[in-house]
Formats: sequence, C-alpha cells, structure tokens
Amino acid sequence: MDIDKEISDQVARPGPGGPGSPIEFRLDSASGVPTYLQLVHQVEHALRLGYLKPGDQLPKVRDVVASLAINPNTVLKAYKDLESKGLTAGRPGQGTFVQATLSQVALPELTALRRSLSGWLAAADGAGLDENGIVALFTSALRDFYERRGGSGDGRGAAGGEAKGVA
Amino acid sequence: MNMNVIETSGLGKRYGGTWALRDCTLAIPAGHVAALIGPNGAGKTTLLNLAVGLAAPTAGGVTVLGGRPAGSPAALDGIAFVAQDTPVYRNLSAADMLHLTRNLNRRFDQHYAETRLGELGIPLKRKAGKLSGGQRAQLALTLALARRPKLLVLDEPVAMLDPVARHDFMATVLTAMVDDGVSVVLSSHVLADLERVADYLILLSRGGVQVAGEADDLLAGHRLLTGPAAEADGLAGRLAVVHVRRAGAQAHVLVRATAGDPVPPGWEAHPVGLEELAMAYLREPGAAALPGPVRARDTKQATPTEVTQ
Amino acid sequence: MTTLTVPARPEDDTSPPPVPWRRMAWVTWRQHRFTLAAVAVFLGALAVGLWLAGLKTHHVYAALVAACHPASAACAGMSTTFIGTNGFLSNGFILQAVPVLIGAFAGAPVLAREMETGTFRYAWTQGFGRWRWTLAKLAPLAVAVAAAAGALSVLLSWYYQPYFATGNQAASFSELTPFFPGVFDLHGITFAAWTLTAFAIGALAGMLIRRVVPAIAATIAAYAGLAFAAGGFLRQHYLTPRVTSNPNVPGSAWIISQWWTKGGRFAFAGWPPDRLLQQFCPQGPQAGVGPDGEPKTVSIAECLTPHGYTQWTSYQPASRFWPFQWIEGGWLLALSVLLIAATIWLVRRRAA
Repeated sequence: MDIDKEISDQVARPGPGGPGSPIEFRLDSASGVPTYLQLVHQVEHALRLGYLKPGDQLPKVRDVVASLAINPNTVLKAYKDLESKGLTAGRPGQGTFVQATLSQVALPELTALRRSLSGWLAAADGAGLDENGIVALFTSALRDFYERRGGSGDGRGAAGGEAKGVA
Repeated sequence: MNMNVIETSGLGKRYGGTWALRDCTLAIPAGHVAALIGPNGAGKTTLLNLAVGLAAPTAGGVTVLGGRPAGSPAALDGIAFVAQDTPVYRNLSAADMLHLTRNLNRRFDQHYAETRLGELGIPLKRKAGKLSGGQRAQLALTLALARRPKLLVLDEPVAMLDPVARHDFMATVLTAMVDDGVSVVLSSHVLADLERVADYLILLSRGGVQVAGEADDLLAGHRLLTGPAAEADGLAGRLAVVHVRRAGAQAHVLVRATAGDPVPPGWEAHPVGLEELAMAYLREPGAAALPGPVRARDTKQATPTEVTQ
Repeated sequence: MTTLTVPARPEDDTSPPPVPWRRMAWVTWRQHRFTLAAVAVFLGALAVGLWLAGLKTHHVYAALVAACHPASAACAGMSTTFIGTNGFLSNGFILQAVPVLIGAFAGAPVLAREMETGTFRYAWTQGFGRWRWTLAKLAPLAVAVAAAAGALSVLLSWYYQPYFATGNQAASFSELTPFFPGVFDLHGITFAAWTLTAFAIGALAGMLIRRVVPAIAATIAAYAGLAFAAGGFLRQHYLTPRVTSNPNVPGSAWIISQWWTKGGRFAFAGWPPDRLLQQFCPQGPQAGVGPDGEPKTVSIAECLTPHGYTQWTSYQPASRFWPFQWIEGGWLLALSVLLIAATIWLVRRRAA
C-alpha cells in the first residue's frame, strides 16, 4: 500500500544533494478549518503563486509534525488528498513531489470572468448587500454548486471547509 | 498493524462504594493518537491506571497490545507510562534517571535519550528536582520514549506546562509516532488543540464511555443545524439530536447525520469541529456515540435528546 | 482512513524474558545510599563511643579484680567505682533503642516514600515489574542492616564482658547477668535479629500507611510493643524454667520468680509479709557485727528457714543463654521473613 512506502520515504533522511522543501507549513488553529485542509490549501496556494513548481519536494511528514505538533496521520491525509487530485506523487525512498500544477485558465477567459464578476458585485451592492452579505451569499452558492456537482475533481477546497470522509 | 493497543470489555473499577469507572468497553486501534477526554472525576486516570497495570479491575477485563493482560510482564515491556505531574526521583540527576530506567527495562536507547536531553538543553548532571516543570516533563517523556515502547500512555501530560513547553512536548510525542510507530493514548481535560493532535476520541462522563471512535468518522457523522429556535424541539422526532443550544430566535442543534442527509427546510447545515462536538457531548451526559453494535444503554437515562445508534 | 502503519519490529515477542535481578543492585544502592550511609555513620559513631567507654570499663574492672583478689579494704570502694562507670550504659536499656531506630528509619521510607511522592507510578510501570522490584530492594537492605547490627553486637559483647565474669555476683561487683532484660538482646545474635525485625516491620508499615513519618511512628510503636512482650513475657518461657528449693541459686542465673512454702503449702511469693518479718526477723536483714568488725548481713532465707519455710526459685541457668539466643533469633527471623513476604504480597495486589 502506498502509505507504508510513504512513511518510510518521509522518515528517510535527505540524501546528499537532497534539498529541503521550498515551502513551510503554518497552522491557524482558530480558523475552524480542519488541519489537513489547511495543509492542502497551502500547497495549492503555493502552486498558484509559484512557490512550488513541478519537481519540488513537499516537506517531510516528520518535519511537519515536529514543527507544528500535529498528528502525522493528518499530514498523511493531506498528502493523500493532493495525490488523489493528481497534484503530487510519492517517490520511493525520497518523499512526496509536486507533479502537476493547478489547471491554468487562459488569460482572456480570466479577464472575461473578472468583468462579469464585477458586474455581479455592482448589482449586489445596488440591492443593498454589504461586504459580509456578499461573502455569505457567494459562499453558500459556491457550496451548493459543488455539492450538486458531486465530490470529485479539483477545486474542492470550498471556504466552508466541507470534510467529506476519505476512505 | 491491525491490533488494538487497548481493549476493554465491561471494565469497571470501584473504590469503596463509588464506581470510578463502569461498564467500559473500548477497542483503541494502533497507529493513532487517542485522546481520552472528560471532566475531572470522569474516570480518565482510573482507566489509564487499569490499562498500565497500576490498578486491578473490579469488573470486566482489559488487555493491551493485542491481547496481553494489563500489568503482565509482556504488557509492562511494551507500554511506557507518564503519570500526572510526571513523577521522577527529585534527588537523582537526569543521568541517574537514565541509568535507572536502563536497568529496569529490557530495551533502552541510551544514545537517543542523551541526544534528546542535549537538544532540549537539560543538563545531565542536574538533579531532577531542580529542573523546571517543562524540563521535568520532557525528561519523563524522554525516559519513556527511550524504552522504545509500542504504546505511550500519558495522563494529563501538558496540564502544568506553559504554551511553549506544551508545544515542544507534543511535538516530541508526535515525532516519535513517525520515527518509531508508537501509538499514543493521552488524557486531557483541555479541549484546545484536540483536533490538531488526536485522531481517535474517547469521551468519558461520570465513569462511563460516552463517545468512542475515529475522529474522521465522528466528524463525518455529525452536523450542526442552525435554524429557528421555535422548531428546535420538533427536530428531535425526525433526527438524532445530541445537543441544542438556543437563544431567543435562533438555535444550533448538533445532530447525528452525514453530509448527504437531507436538511430540514429552513435550516442550515454545517460540519462540526472536534472540539465543538466534544463540548456538546460533555454538556449532554445522557447522549452517547459509540462505534459498532449497540451496547446496553440501561445505565443511561432516556431523555428527549437521547441518541439512538 | 489513513493511519501510520508501524515498521516491523525485529523483536515482537509476547512473553519477554524477565529483566535480570542483578540490574536492581545499582538501583537499590543509588536510591538508598543515603540511608545506608546514615546507618553506617550512626553505628560507627556508636561504635567509637562504645570502644572508648569500654576501654575505661575494662580498665577499672582489671584494677578491681587485682585489688580484691586478696580481699582488702580498698575493694568496696573500687567496686562502687566499677558499678558507677558509664552508669547510663550499665543496664543496657538505652541501647535498646538502636535496633528500632535503624529499622524504622531504614525500613519505613523504602515503600512509604514511593507511595507518598507518587514515584511508584514510574517504578511499577517499568519492565522490571513491581514485586520483583520490591524484593530486590528489601532483601539487600535487610541483610545490610542486619549485618551492620551484627557487627556492632560483637563490640557490645566485648563491652559487657566484664560485667558477666563469673563470681561477680558473689563479690557484689555487679548484678548484671547475660539474661538481664536490658542486655540479653544486645549481644549474641539477637541484636541483629531485632534490627532485622524492626526493618521488616518498617517495610510493612510503609506499605500499609503510605506516608513516611506516620510509618516511622507506627514502626516504633509496633516494635516497642513486640519488644516488651518478648522481654517481659515470652522469653522466660522458651524453655521450662528450673525450679529449686536450694537457696544458693547461682548468681549468674536469671531469677524468674521466687515463692515460699511452709509444710508443702504455698505461703507467699516474693517479699515476705510484714507480720512474718516482725515475727522472725525483728532486727531486719542485719544482725549484729561479724568477726571482722563489719556489719553482718543475714538473709531473709536464714531468718525464715529455721521456722519451717522453704524458698523456691524458678530460674533459667546461665548455661541456657545460647539456646535462648537461638530460639529468639529463630522466631525473629521467621517473623521478619513473614513480614517481608506480606509486604511483597501487598505490593502485588495493591491498586493505585
């Protein structure tokens, strides 16, 4: 099973010339977001911002546990989640490495999406919603959208923090 | 590894006329950090004492590490216990404590212990009584881990520690899980940091087990419904309600339900965090959430918020 | 559910061989070296004191014997000097405290301190196992304490030897016999045996009471009760006392009781009633002046015997000293073993 290998990979000390991970995790215990999801989000966020590129290594489980004092199974769960999304892959004896980036949306599409979003925001503002109201409405609609769509594919990290059970 | 690190069946302990623990049936799997939660007097220390062989059961039985009788030489060999207020001999130096523990056990990793104490900045020659509370706790933990146990049992390990010491202590415990595959059972009456550290939860209340199960399963099996306070009581008929918190117009109701279950109209469903879940059950001593087949519930009174399995 | 799987351990046995006994030697030494040192210092100081006092006693006694061999006027004064030398030690009672002090302060804290400070939660969850740990502590300490006491009792025998010399009683040099209650258990083997018993009482009290200071107090109380019972009632019956009507009971014997009969019937015990004394011994024990000009002592026996009274004495002859030592040492040893076994049994079954 992958996990057994994963543990021995993560416990193995980096060989000569093996660099550490470019990123470091942090934990916001007051956020209400489950720990494993925070780790997943941080990896995805790092991928988007370019801190992590394909081929980079994720922090070793042991190092994450030692610095954050969190349950190792939580780290494993996060890494498995990333693997199931196809973002990372484990290499035997070495660790977990980034294998893909998040799907890029082409720039013209992004521009068009942003323009329609600004229009919607103007309408919401005109209807009398304040900032928090807009956020609440958007979050609720986002969650419903993904629930209706099913729990597969990428972009599952809704801000509400849905914890679907991982078998 | 599929064994259960602690398995109890109908376990009970009576002191004088009071049952400190009653009818306790648990199966804690290996490879987890199992948190034993409950208010003071709930029976946490009693359960741990029974598991490590410091006390003998009045009723029922307890086995550890896959069927070894608690307190037997085989059990003592594989379990390291750090009691509340981390007892060490105060007039012995840290080096003496290492020597002592090495002599009293079959396995002892002297190199690990010395290195670890060095990393922590605990001088080997200093008497244990002159160390700070955090250093003494780390010393006791180092002694326990150097024995290379299969199971580490901690009774309120961080109750007396400042936040930094607490973090370092738990980091040490959790890294040992990664390095050596130690399973951990710890008791605490502090709920903060629960979700970060524990992946198996046991909630004791008044000497009985109220909740026991994997944290993920428990979280997946509960939802918090927010809606009109007036309808809150009406939910009890349709859903397995654990706890109701109400204000004038709004109520929050913790129910046993999964993400796929239909939400009553007019209500919003949210997932719950582990601390919120634990708190709700602690406020509702009559409710229970146990894995596996239904267990006799005659010890609990039936209330409108009684949870059915 | 993802969980850590455990790397296979090379030794995954469910019935491990026990940790060897000899590992506890260092543990016992390190944890109790202060106690052992205190006992050594205490007995050492006592030994030095006894040695110095004993030299003085021996010296005075030698002079006494030399001076009184041809009975002379200097004799009586020197014998008073001899009796008065180190008077506080002469009846031995003060040294009776030594076994119980050693036993209480060495024995009671062994388990009581573990229970009181909570360190038993560490000690009893180590691989060695709790009852083996207890035995591996109590046995060597018991032997050490008894051996130290045994060594001191050799010195004590030497100290009291002048008092027990034959003929002392006849010459009125001393009334101390080997059986004298204050000194019987200071020499021979019973000093070590009583120390051992005190230690065993201490260990059991420590386990029962679980607090150091109350355990020490209880040990002293229990020991005192036992010592009084043994010295006052038990000891005289180890072997059936001899009974004789011969008034000349050897001075070295241990007189247990005396009574008088007249015509085969019991008359009175101990000291005669006043009316009989007035009737038969009007001048009291002294009657007149002897041939050498010194007052002559007439004993009660000499007064009453001509009038048909017979004095009976039940006693233990001096020759029975060693058999009594073995008997007392024997039952004390058995008692100590029993107490230590009871302590270990308590440790095995005691709940936290």
